[in-house]
Amino acid sequence: MAKKVTKKVTKKVDKKEKIDKSKKLINLLKNHGAQVYEDLENGEFPKFSIPNRSISNIIYDKKLRQYILGTNTSLRSARNSSQLRSFTQLLWLAFFANKLTHEKKSSTLRDVYYSSQAFAIDFEDQQESDNIIVDLEAVLSQPREDFYVFPEERSSIFGDLTIEYTIPGYEGKTQNLSSHPDGYAIGPSMTSAQLADTSAELVIAIEKGGLFTRFVEEQVDKKFKSIIINTGGQAPRSTRTLLKRLHDEMGLPVVILTDGDVYGEHIAMVIKSGSANAAHLKGLTVPDAKWMGVWATDIDKFKLPTIPMTESDIKRCYDLLKDPRYQEGLWKRELEVFIKIKRKAELEAFSKYGLTNITEKYLPKKLEESKSY
Amino acid sequence: MSSKETFNQISPSEFFYRNRDLAGFSNPTRSLYTAVREFVENSLDACDHSGILPNIHMTIKAVDPEKPDPKQYILTVKDNGPGIPSKHVPLAFGTVLYGSKFGLKQARGMFGLGATMAILYGQITTNKPVKVKSNADGKTRFDFEMKLDIQKNKPVIMKKQETPSTEQGLSVSIVLDGDYAKAGTKIRDYVYQTSLITPYATITFDDPKGEKFHHKAIIRSMPPAPTVIAPHPYGIDVETIRRMLVDTHYQIPNVDDKMIEKVRKELGMSKKKFTYDEIMKKTEKKWKSLTRPVRVVISLMSFLEADFEKLQRIRIEDVDLRNNKLTYWDYSTSQTLVADMDVESPYYKQLANTVQGESLTHFLNKRFQRVGPTAALEFCKFAKFKPETRIGNMTDQELVKLSDALQTYEGFRSPDPTCLAPLGDGPLEKGIERRFEPDFMAVVQRTASAYSGFPFVIEMGIAYGGKIETRGTTVYRFANRIPLLYDEGSDVVLKVVKDTDWNRYKVKNDSAPLIIVSHICSTRVPYKTVGKENVADRPEIEKELRLALQFLSRKLSGYMSKKGQAEMAKKRANLYSKYLPLVAQFCTELSGNKKEPNYKQMIKEEIAINNAGENKEVEKNG
Ligand SMILES: Nc1ncnc2c1ncn2[C@@H]1O[C@H](COP(=O)(O)OP(=O)(O)O)[C@@H](O)[C@H]1O
Ligand SMILES: [Mg+2]
Repeated sequence: MAKKVTKKVTKKVDKKEKIDKSKKLINLLKNHGAQVYEDLENGEFPKFSIPNRSISNIIYDKKLRQYILGTNTSLRSARNSSQLRSFTQLLWLAFFANKLTHEKKSSTLRDVYYSSQAFAIDFEDQQESDNIIVDLEAVLSQPREDFYVFPEERSSIFGDLTIEYTIPGYEGKTQNLSSHPDGYAIGPSMTSAQLADTSAELVIAIEKGGLFTRFVEEQVDKKFKSIIINTGGQAPRSTRTLLKRLHDEMGLPVVILTDGDVYGEHIAMVIKSGSANAAHLKGLTVPDAKWMGVWATDIDKFKLPTIPMTESDIKRCYDLLKDPRYQEGLWKRELEVFIKIKRKAELEAFSKYGLTNITEKYLPKKLEESKSY
Repeated sequence: MSSKETFNQISPSEFFYRNRDLAGFSNPTRSLYTAVREFVENSLDACDHSGILPNIHMTIKAVDPEKPDPKQYILTVKDNGPGIPSKHVPLAFGTVLYGSKFGLKQARGMFGLGATMAILYGQITTNKPVKVKSNADGKTRFDFEMKLDIQKNKPVIMKKQETPSTEQGLSVSIVLDGDYAKAGTKIRDYVYQTSLITPYATITFDDPKGEKFHHKAIIRSMPPAPTVIAPHPYGIDVETIRRMLVDTHYQIPNVDDKMIEKVRKELGMSKKKFTYDEIMKKTEKKWKSLTRPVRVVISLMSFLEADFEKLQRIRIEDVDLRNNKLTYWDYSTSQTLVADMDVESPYYKQLANTVQGESLTHFLNKRFQRVGPTAALEFCKFAKFKPETRIGNMTDQELVKLSDALQTYEGFRSPDPTCLAPLGDGPLEKGIERRFEPDFMAVVQRTASAYSGFPFVIEMGIAYGGKIETRGTTVYRFANRIPLLYDEGSDVVLKVVKDTDWNRYKVKNDSAPLIIVSHICSTRVPYKTVGKENVADRPEIEKELRLALQFLSRKLSGYMSKKGQAEMAKKRANLYSKYLPLVAQFCTELSGNKKEPNYKQMIKEEIAINNAGENKEVEKNG
């Protein structure tokens, strides 16, 4: 079913789409504000209805192949004295998000925390403001990146991809992402940029910075016509959004390369079908993404040096066995083998057979294989 | 206490030293405090029993203020009480064991020892006399200066002087070794706490450092004075029974002129001379109206066949019931004569009754509280005594048996509490309210109960918040309107308070501004030590204390949850005032409106609701 991209794709994304999106968001925020205004005007206490994010309301949607929230919502009312504070915080954040979106100013979780202080909105700590941000995401069903709040963690990208900035001051400027061998940070300007042009036919997401550098050095981008993305462990949401856009907008298949352990397997799974943490959001998953390795079965096949699994590694395996997404196929099989061999192997393990072993031997073989599942 | 004979054989200082620890005179610190207590309590007792609102003025002055403590102090306590009639003054303050408080009723002083012991302590440590000024009739004041001669248990009056004065009352002044530097706190506490439990008294204290402590009376009415009542069978011992028997037991009357006059009068045969037969005839008619002594005398006359003239010439020596012989002395012939008594004669029974004393049932019924005729009969059955047993005939063993049985028999109703004088809800509440000005208070008076035949009543008050400055639970202990300040470690009240789980009543134990006032009233408070500072844990008393405290704690708990609600409401109002303006601001900007919505009314309403629930409250035991 893999979509084979043979010709150079040039896809100009309609600018209007992006503008509509922020307009839609601004309207949404305005409507919420108007509702609160009307309530106060009528002498009533305003309230927000927030989708309930507790475990009991998180369900796995087989059709969407990701976790989503159930229909339970909780009310946050200004009447309730224990909720008034967080109600105000939420409303402030909506106000602040509106401002950011209007002015196209990006900020981070930490920025939000500090910005609140200018408005006498006292967050006890950043944890509290982070939670409110997730609340607003849930209320709007929009990821925070849409209202210009970005994570601090940065992963990076390298390859033949031309982007066109939309952030103020850079509008219309383009950049090709293969000019700088250290790669490009996936930050707000990247996430909000238009994806203009690419010759790549594939996206390789790789778990570790060390291997990312090796892949650039070995010109994997050219040899395999690929865009290389370093996820830096568990992929941040902006990176997952970018992966999704590369897949959806540019029609590129996505493969994932991780350490040969249970955490690696799950990094791949989160890119593919999301995390329970973000069950309130859609548009973060790449259901067609493929986990290319390192599999548990690869360890034996490629005679990789191994490390014994720890207690918590094993416990994690058993935990995932209960996850609905690990109930069949590759995912189940590999997990069971991990449990059986109780050993794991890192990506660096290939170095035993020479530094280029992974790019010259393993990668082509696995890429070839990946076409058949 | 030892008997008078013993005093005669030891020196005054020896007597004092033998008893000083018991009486609270072990060192200059404690002695100064004890002396204060003895005099103040005497004044309060005296005022209570004469229904006078006490106004007491105490002064402590150093003889030489420059000297370091311990040193000599002059202690003066002056009151507006009934005073002591001048002829009784030397006895009251110059003899050990002279007291007017032996009856069974609640009083502060107990053994007729207090004042004398303080005076004696002063005399021994400074060799100065006691000065007493007493005005018992509002006309004349008698000033005495005396020392005690313990060898003779007699006062030695050194000066006595009369002055016309309208100011009734008594003032006692002694010079004694004391340590005010150390005792000062306790004495000031004592004065303060006394004013708390005696809210109808005005107490003023001028201390040696020139400070004045003035506690004005809070109420103008006195709680009812305690009454004297007969003892309860449970509270009695063999010695007491023996004493009671002696003064119940009828004596053969002394047949003197006065007695004969009485007999003539009752028979209506005053003037003339009457024959023996005429007398007996009249007696038969009048028997029913005659008093007991007259009946006894006429019975004697019947066996002696005597008219009034003959009766004047004789003295009865013995009535021997076993041999039915009447022995008498005849003045006219100066010899002892014997007459036979006819057992069949109705007069024999009269005499026998007199000599043998009354029946046991009658005695029990008359001399004890809570023993009616039926109860007396039931008791005799229980104790295996014949109800008609004559008390005059009882042997020592029988007395012991009787005393034991009285204490083990469970059929008697509990002691009569009318001899007790609790302060009462009103005055206790007023006292607490005025002294502490709390946010919440409640008082309770339990119904009377008894331990070992001694009735007692517990009254208790609880106060929270307001102007209470102490943190944690502060317990003020009182017994018979006396504050208990020393030896708090082992006291039953403190035990009960400590056992309480305050969390259950929504009170934070260590930080709460909480005060408990506990008052035990009894004809005999079971003090652990003679120093009268802590109360032993009798199960009956402990139970009553617990019930009282539980009742009050529940009231407090009710208040605390209401208070909790009020605090919540206040907090809510504060939150609204803080956040609603922000909500208004953000939604205005977000919705693109120019003017803020009209939300201020909402805050106002919240605050109004909050204020309605904030009233201060005083709980009372209905
Ligand atoms: N301030 C006073 N006013 C009137 N009577 C007093 C006063 N102080 C003492 N008395 C009388 O003197 C008696 C002896 O006092 P005290 O030696 O203290 O013995 P107690 O107080 O134990 O009876 C008291 O019982 C009381 O009758
Ligand atoms: Mg006394």
